[in-house]
Amino acid sequence: MKKIREFINKADIRKFRFWLQLFFFIIFIYGGYFAINLGNSIPVFSCGFDREVGGMCYFLPLQHQLARPLDVLLSAASISVLIGFVTFLLWFIVFNKAWCGYACPLGTMQDWITGLRKKMGIRFSTYTQPQFEKLKKIKYIMLALVILSPMAVGMGLLDREWVTAFCEICPGRMITPLFVGDISQWSLDFSTKTAMILTSLGLIFTGLFLIGSFFKKRFFCFFCPMSAMHYIFSDAALLKLKKDGDKCTKCGDCYAVCDMQIKDIADDVTSTNILRDDCILCLKCVAACPEDDALHFDILNMKLFTSTKGGFEKRMGMQTPKGTTNE
Amino acid sequence: MSSLQSHTIETPNEKQNRHKAMEAIKVLNTLKEGFKTPPKAMDYFYNLFEDVYCKQKALHDDKVKVGTMCIQIPSEIIYALDGVPIRLCNGFYTDDEIGSDFLPQKACPLVKASVGHLASKNLTDKPDMIYSPTTCDQKTKAGTLIASFGYDVVDVDFPRTKESEISREFFRRSIREFSADLSLKMGKKLSKKKLKASISKIGYAQSLYHRLSDFRKNRTVPILGNDMFLVTNAFFFDKIDNWIDACEKLVDELEQRVKDDIHAGGKISPRIVYTGSPPIFPNYKIPIIIEDSDAIIVADETCSSNRMFNDRVAVDEWFVNDMIDSLADKYLKACTCPIFSKNNDRIRRIIELVKSHNADGVIYQAFAGCTVYELEQRSVLEAMEKAGISILYIESDYSPSQQGQLSTRVEAFVESLKIKNRNK
Repeated sequence: MKKIREFINKADIRKFRFWLQLFFFIIFIYGGYFAINLGNSIPVFSCGFDREVGGMCYFLPLQHQLARPLDVLLSAASISVLIGFVTFLLWFIVFNKAWCGYACPLGTMQDWITGLRKKMGIRFSTYTQPQFEKLKKIKYIMLALVILSPMAVGMGLLDREWVTAFCEICPGRMITPLFVGDISQWSLDFSTKTAMILTSLGLIFTGLFLIGSFFKKRFFCFFCPMSAMHYIFSDAALLKLKKDGDKCTKCGDCYAVCDMQIKDIADDVTSTNILRDDCILCLKCVAACPEDDALHFDILNMKLFTSTKGGFEKRMGMQTPKGTTNE
Repeated sequence: MSSLQSHTIETPNEKQNRHKAMEAIKVLNTLKEGFKTPPKAMDYFYNLFEDVYCKQKALHDDKVKVGTMCIQIPSEIIYALDGVPIRLCNGFYTDDEIGSDFLPQKACPLVKASVGHLASKNLTDKPDMIYSPTTCDQKTKAGTLIASFGYDVVDVDFPRTKESEISREFFRRSIREFSADLSLKMGKKLSKKKLKASISKIGYAQSLYHRLSDFRKNRTVPILGNDMFLVTNAFFFDKIDNWIDACEKLVDELEQRVKDDIHAGGKISPRIVYTGSPPIFPNYKIPIIIEDSDAIIVADETCSSNRMFNDRVAVDEWFVNDMIDSLADKYLKACTCPIFSKNNDRIRRIIELVKSHNADGVIYQAFAGCTVYELEQRSVLEAMEKAGISILYIESDYSPSQQGQLSTRVEAFVESLKIKNRNK
């Protein structure tokens, strides 16, 4: 048991993550070819516009459901809405935000773009802390759009085109179908004014997505409404990111490797549950922490993966004095 | 006739060397012979200090030597540019006396000794340039004073608060500036490969320190705190590869000692965490008194030891600028120096060390004149009381007097810890 634990704690998490991400990418994007269907309450951006999707992003059905007239929505007829939501919650509660770091196809795509940038020897950009504080709020506005816009349609305040307003502007709608050779989403809809505005916004956001994630790690995730939705329920999740503040020396190693620039991970020494709304639970921070058990990834209070000196030294190439200072 | 001609009068430098050699050998002999037999691997360190401080042996003739006034200058960058970092913090009473001519009587002895040493220009490994981080008032001013002696001194801006985002940005820039300056002086570009290699090497050296420290968590402590201070102190100036080799041997030997149940202290020696002004060779006055009084130092929170090795650097993408930023963060954010406005981190570290090393008490030394440690004494004492940890605060300096008075206080404290343990 001790050996297994040591093996896990010394593991090269990046490799493990790469393969797991690829696995989920295939399931979600190409699932249709293998007759895989995980339903349509999946808590990641596996886009329903992909005709081979192996499990659909919860937002597409959610928006359709919420667009019912208010009296129908609040009646017993909407038990299916509740079932959809409960399914979403069940999926989410098991893996918490690890959905973002390990399963989301849109996240995986961004990591691949990051890999490309790295290969080209270009350094990543970061936001300054004040910029970051402002930008991170956008995702809640997006979440409001996901929920309120279809409801407004149901109440007769907006046209039908607004039902899936978020999907229209989501880069996933345009990019995901490309992987199964479908380019039909790459067009502007001139049928109405609203459609034109929404589809052009979609095109702009797709462009921003591609350019942004080249320069900034996980660019889109700062704005993701799914991430905001996750955070609301993350306290109930089984998997948790925990911190033991007494063991933390604030060295900032975790912050230095964090794709999402979460400062609390290094500076907060009082919270035990250190998962923040931007977190994608990629566990890079745990892998980069040089203190024994300061950061750990728990399932029901049992340490699944924990920071260790040995693991840190192995991952950072500090197990031998192979320096070249005497060259 | 010939004997008359060969008679020479001792020069001030020779006199300084002789006095320093006496100070050094006294401490080395105490460590070698005053306690239980030290580990064999310690011989390397005893000989090193004897060579450098008694025989004035230079270690880095062929290299560019980069003097640093404090721990906040990343040695990783210096090594990556083929320089050798030499930490100029000094522990000699002889140099302290020379420095007294330049600084106020009540100034910190460590600063006075460092200034005195440089004022004498009598250095075996004379630094080609000096980087002075603007940490405490006295060190900051000392930098300018040293420049007036004709040294090339560059101030490296260091913030006095570390919680704010501004300070992080500030120090990142400061370190970028430092590496640009050094790179210019060395006539070399800081390469990605070399910086990564030196981060790995220092990381490995740190891991050796961690392994040595881990042995001290055992009930059987295989090495004296004083010997550990000597080991970490050697890192100030030693050739890094030799230091690494010697530490690897020491790790192996200590492992064996733990297996053989060889305890460096006495049967009921209380376990002490040492904190405060750094003991720098040969000023081991307080640590020697502690371990002479049948206590054993199992851990420390000082800038000549733990603070130098504890925290490590992690980098995500290993580009030069990432590495520099991560280095800057480590040297600022993890630093537990008392110069910062708030100091909860230092208190947390001491408590953590007491817990992880099963210590019975803390001894807090401040040099008379080391204002920041004196200032913090109150808050640390309060925090320890709250945490139920016994603590003794002592003030001392580099002078060889007041020995008796200090040992009486330390002995009384150690005795009280023993009584406490017995009543447990």
